[in-house]
Amino acid sequence: MNASSSFEIDKQALLLEKKAEQRGRLEAIALPLGTLLVLLVLWEFGVRFFEVPPYIAPAPSDVATTLVDKFPLLLTNFWPTFQESILGFIVGNLAAVLVAIAFVHNKMVEKAFFPLAVFINTIPILAIAPILVLIFGSGLSAKVIIAGLICFFPTLVNMVRGLQSISPQALELARILSASKSEVFWEFRLPASLPFLFSALKIAATTCVIGAIIGEWVGADVGLGSLILDSTFNFRASLLYATVLMSSGLSVCIFAAVSITERLMIRW
Amino acid sequence: MTNTVAVEGPKVSNVGDAASSHQPCAVSVENASVKFGAFTAINNLSLEIEEGAFYTILGPSGCGKSTFLRLVSDLVPAASGDVRILGKSTEAARLGRELAFVFQDATLLPWRTVLENVELPLEIGESTGVDIPVSEKSPEELLELVGLKGRENAMPHELSGGMKQRVAIARALVCKPKLLLMDEPFGALDEMTRDHLNLQLLKIWQETGVTIVFVTHSIQEAVFLGQKVVMFQANPGRLKEVIDIDFPYPREITLRDKPEFIRHTAYLRSLLETCS
Ligand SMILES: Nc1ncnc2c1ncn2[C@@H]1O[C@H](COP(=O)(O)OP(=O)(O)O)[C@@H](O)[C@H]1O
Ligand SMILES: [Mg+2]
Repeated sequence: MNASSSFEIDKQALLLEKKAEQRGRLEAIALPLGTLLVLLVLWEFGVRFFEVPPYIAPAPSDVATTLVDKFPLLLTNFWPTFQESILGFIVGNLAAVLVAIAFVHNKMVEKAFFPLAVFINTIPILAIAPILVLIFGSGLSAKVIIAGLICFFPTLVNMVRGLQSISPQALELARILSASKSEVFWEFRLPASLPFLFSALKIAATTCVIGAIIGEWVGADVGLGSLILDSTFNFRASLLYATVLMSSGLSVCIFAAVSITERLMIRW
Repeated sequence: MTNTVAVEGPKVSNVGDAASSHQPCAVSVENASVKFGAFTAINNLSLEIEEGAFYTILGPSGCGKSTFLRLVSDLVPAASGDVRILGKSTEAARLGRELAFVFQDATLLPWRTVLENVELPLEIGESTGVDIPVSEKSPEELLELVGLKGRENAMPHELSGGMKQRVAIARALVCKPKLLLMDEPFGALDEMTRDHLNLQLLKIWQETGVTIVFVTHSIQEAVFLGQKVVMFQANPGRLKEVIDIDFPYPREITLRDKPEFIRHTAYLRSLLETCS
């Protein structure tokens, strides 16, 4: 009797908990969406009510119309930026991972190069960009290098931390099993570093787009970056806004791809 | 196997020289010292552990119990003296997988499933060129032996502390070691789980015949498990006394309520007070 009633209470508690959880998830999606919607509506009415000229601030509806009307133009400029961002992402992160591995395996290398890496990181990317364009010309490579450079440092620091995150006890286990250096790396250090690597890759997912756009500002006649400059100087505000939307869309896509890969690879 | 020698007092007697020259001890430590820089962690320690025996080690914290196990398992070198495992050097024993280690925290690799963790020792160390012995029991059977049948594909983070430690024991047994070194393996577990694992460990010991050296900070656990309790003393770490515990196996939990058991624990407790 007593037991069964307490079982009933348990079941009810579980049900309530589940409901609360569902509500929590709904809130997490609905609340920010609702806020966005309210802001957009306020913006739309603000622009119309105060009669803000469209070359200063376009209404959201204007931006939406431009996004649809000018979609072919936007897309032609999207692909170069996409290419530069992805290549920069790959080159920058790959270089960072390799340098991190070298650092972890050889303290001398770390001592020799880490201060240099810090120094390069302190130069504003906007200041290096023209230098790189001077060296590599206004083609693809300069932009890829700028995008790569902006990814490099956070990934380097995180990856070094990740490779060192393996516990001393796990290393003792490796030693008792007479593991070779490469086994310690592949079976212990590298898997342990993956969560650190992925948090760096998520940062890089957004910064590589910034790098590509900065590269295009310095010297390019295609790409979202050059379209941003173009539409700014021609007072085509709604096109500018649409281009900015495309850029963040690109970041979001890369970020999502990294997150999905992370979820597939890291099951612990 | 070897004649059990009642050892009392700080000096370890070494009787039966003729017999032991035929049959090397599982562990034979002679006047060994371990130093970390200027600090002496173990000073002039001698101890012999017969094959198939179950030794437990007690002592105040910092007296060098872990260091002793690490000395035996070739993780730290001896500054002086000699350590032999079954007549071989510790390095040879390590390369031949004659010894296995169970740490206080299970040290499972979180990215491997339970079964993959147990299989780890079979996949590693091939570059040494020494053949890796394999237990007749498959990794699955070893998981069954430690009571984890059905959890082969679980990830370590899904397991409780006691289950993780059982996986670690299965992993330690997968290469059929002759010597199992355990450093406070159940120290972080609750009492019920610990009791259960103690019984399971004794069962495994009897089934496999492996020599076990088990460090613990629990006097009860030391007496309940061991044929002999080795008491260490601190500053510098050295041997204090070896006490025979001659309760027959299989032992039951109720053994702990027997007056003889309590006499042992009371004696060890008073001894421990003089050690730090
Ligand atoms: N790698 C090391 N470097 C320096 N000192 C150490 C190291 N390992 C252990 N020690 C010291 O050696 C002593 C014995 O340590 P340990 O064997 O871990 O003690 P126990 O396991 O008995 O608690 C302690 O004082 C400890 O600080
Ligand atoms: Mg210890």
